[in-house]
Amino acid sequence: MADASAVRLLGQENYERLRSSRVLLVGAGGIGCELLKNLVLMGFGEIHIVDLDIIDLSNLNRQFLFRQRDIKQAKATTAARAIEHVSNSKLVAHQANIMDVDQFPLAWFSQFSIFFNALDNLEARRYVNQIAQYLRKPLLESGTAGFDGYIQPIIPGATECFDCTTKETPKTFPVCTIRSTPSQPIHCIVWAKNFLFSQLFASSGSVSADEDLGTDNIEEIERIRQETNELHELQELIRLGDKTRINDIFEKVFVKDIEKLLAIEELWKTREKPTPLYNFKFDGTPNKNLNTVWAIQEQINAFVLAIEKLMQRLPSENQIEFDKDDPDTLLFVAAAANIRASIFNLPLKSVFDIKQIAGGIIPAIATTNAIIAGLSSLASLRVLNLLKDQNKANPTELNMAFTAKASNMSNNRYLSNPQLAPPNPRCPVCSIVRGVLTLSQNDFETLRLSDLVNAAQKKYSYSGEVSVLDKSTQRLLADFDFEDLLDKTLAEVNVARGTILLISDEQDSEDGIRAPVELYVEQGESAGIRLPDLEVPLVKTVAAEPDGTNSEEDAFMQGEIIVGDDKNPKKRHLDETSESPAKKALKTEEEHVVILD
Amino acid sequence: MAAQARMRSAKVLLINLGGLGTEITKNLVLSGVGFLSLIDDHIVSEGDLNTQFFLSKDEIGTKRLDSAVNRIQDMNPRVTLTVDTDDFRQKPDSFYGQFDLIIATDVTTEEAIRVNQLTRKFSVPFFLCGLNGLSGFIFVDLVRFDATDEKLQSSIKTPLGALSQNREVVEVTEYLNEEQSKTYERIVTRNLYKPFEQVLKEGTLKGKLTRRQVKRLTNSVPLTFALFSYRNGYAGVTSHDLEQRAIEACVQLGLPSENLKQEYIDQFSQQAGLEFAPVSAVIGGTVAQDVINILGKKQSPLNNFIVLDGISLDMHIFEL
Repeated sequence: MADASAVRLLGQENYERLRSSRVLLVGAGGIGCELLKNLVLMGFGEIHIVDLDIIDLSNLNRQFLFRQRDIKQAKATTAARAIEHVSNSKLVAHQANIMDVDQFPLAWFSQFSIFFNALDNLEARRYVNQIAQYLRKPLLESGTAGFDGYIQPIIPGATECFDCTTKETPKTFPVCTIRSTPSQPIHCIVWAKNFLFSQLFASSGSVSADEDLGTDNIEEIERIRQETNELHELQELIRLGDKTRINDIFEKVFVKDIEKLLAIEELWKTREKPTPLYNFKFDGTPNKNLNTVWAIQEQINAFVLAIEKLMQRLPSENQIEFDKDDPDTLLFVAAAANIRASIFNLPLKSVFDIKQIAGGIIPAIATTNAIIAGLSSLASLRVLNLLKDQNKANPTELNMAFTAKASNMSNNRYLSNPQLAPPNPRCPVCSIVRGVLTLSQNDFETLRLSDLVNAAQKKYSYSGEVSVLDKSTQRLLADFDFEDLLDKTLAEVNVARGTILLISDEQDSEDGIRAPVELYVEQGESAGIRLPDLEVPLVKTVAAEPDGTNSEEDAFMQGEIIVGDDKNPKKRHLDETSESPAKKALKTEEEHVVILD
Repeated sequence: MAAQARMRSAKVLLINLGGLGTEITKNLVLSGVGFLSLIDDHIVSEGDLNTQFFLSKDEIGTKRLDSAVNRIQDMNPRVTLTVDTDDFRQKPDSFYGQFDLIIATDVTTEEAIRVNQLTRKFSVPFFLCGLNGLSGFIFVDLVRFDATDEKLQSSIKTPLGALSQNREVVEVTEYLNEEQSKTYERIVTRNLYKPFEQVLKEGTLKGKLTRRQVKRLTNSVPLTFALFSYRNGYAGVTSHDLEQRAIEACVQLGLPSENLKQEYIDQFSQQAGLEFAPVSAVIGGTVAQDVINILGKKQSPLNNFIVLDGISLDMHIFEL
């Protein structure tokens, strides 16, 4: 009997439940390949795999389902095909973005008994976490970075969700260090990637008022602002695609801007002065060896070649994001960082090293992925209550796990396995009352924002003014002194399938304020606003204590939390102290994490 | 990179390509180990198909290694793969002397003891690992191993001397990391090991755990130990018999036998030697990670016994 071992472990009845379960695996990369193999061998009935990516050469040393011949093929479909020879499961691969609401509306997610996250970015993790909260489906979250890894089962309503604790905030440097006074190669890499590249090729605003510039020097602040705006003008130049202007761009960035910096004498009293790169010329011979540190002339050549290619691409792609696996963007950033480093008399780095740093990656380790995927699939059995002779565990009796020895946190524990914590009552995601609002296609064209606001006020007994925030884009749609959009139709204010609206009480009555409500907008057949039946509690407002301990809570209750905005961690009102040691130790591969070698 | 070069020249022997052997093979081949020899004389059975992914449905009845070898090589053509479909028990002693490291999976206690005697004879690092359903274990015998770890110097210098029964700091050197302008320490820790047979006879946890740790210790530890006492396989395991042996194991290990739970005893008696894919992944990943670490001569290796409880995800390291 083929499945004897699973039957012995789970019992016949549970085994049949497993065979009839449908599960969702999000991500077919390092953890995803391993997880897919485990889920197939365990015998889950139907497994859907979603991944937008295609296979890159650099994946092959750890994503064991992929071969040289698969390069440039879709990860999801290739992974499914590669494991088919041992599979008794129905495998359904989707080469798509899990956040695409047209392809994966909320209803699509409801067919699964559990979601497995095997993702490498925060945005998608948060998204699936949110979907799990709406549908009250269990989620198995996991992540690795180098030798560090963790798994965390999330049972909506009963245990901490992904956003209950602050995630490692991106390692940041004061703007002035990056923009004016770099003292390490990494400062130049951050400058090239996060500032120069994004200003030239991605749309990006000017310096915002609350950004931490890390300096009080008015002259310097003025210069930083001016430089940003000038660079934006350079982007216009690049969009025109005139290659003869590359010279101007080069001169602006590596000569004129440096000269302006030199003019601020205050900066150089205790620092070595930079030297503008006068008399540069392009002689066209690129160096192909990505593992060596190039001469400055080779850096200049690489810079020009990369910028030419990116200029060609820009009209059709509209904007280009930095991706360490996109050679044009990598070469641009590497060369720009090195030219700047040389101007500031700092050591230069090889393209390969810069890729590691700019990609924010500690090299992925195959064995860590294997261990974490093993734990994730193992933990799912207990979450789904499929183990033989085991009583159904209370959610807070379930365990998470993280690598303790490999992360140098313990000598005598290979894994640490704390039990799951209950939800953080101040979590900006899972503490909020939520429901699904289904509207017909026609409704979006005919209903006005005011109709929705009025209906919500009535339905949830808001005593007065409410504010409406589109959480997906962080746009304020209406509040007590912003009524401009109320007469627009929902379609006109870009409310569509998948939009998440946060409705908050603005009226502080004697009884307190009504808790906020989050609505997921779904498209369906039935017409008219039928708001979901939800219990929206009245929350007593507590006068702020003299020591101000309640200020955080008050801010939260007024709905002033900005969620999912990594660029602005300061606005997240999460309790630092509630962070478990596990999380503190973890460095999940977030976009902006920079690891020094 | 010296570590990479050492990896590429290393000769590793893996005994048995079951579920666990498959995981270890995958991880070592991906990591670019130089020479991997596989020895396994089993025939593909239906049961193999839910623990292994180098085999396929239409290969039932063929030799496991013959079927798997192409899929293994395909993962990384640069690894020199040798396959041997002989019975490892019939190999002459000298066979074991040609490797830099030997991993035994899916073997009986008696077989493990013999292979370990030979690895001792040739001073070859030895890993033994196995699965018992939702639980799995790893035993390590590196004979003697000096590990080098680097860490930022704290206010107190790391002192020389014994860290625990099997581990001792023998050398500490300071050096300055110029890029960060911080002082680091390079610490050499000597790890001493005991052979499997001796650990079975004398290994104990007495005085090595706090009372709280003893109280919370998973039943998987004494039960794994009790299963070792079935020297030639698990054919005769019953719940009652296992319980008696688990009580004896508790006495030797210095654990209170009243903590033994019936559900764990039943689980282990029903799942002795049973392979399960997720547990293979965890144990196989852990073994491979440590093997790669040792071949690169880097950080402190495992010393010397690990048990995974697949329900609570408890995974302690014990010095026995």
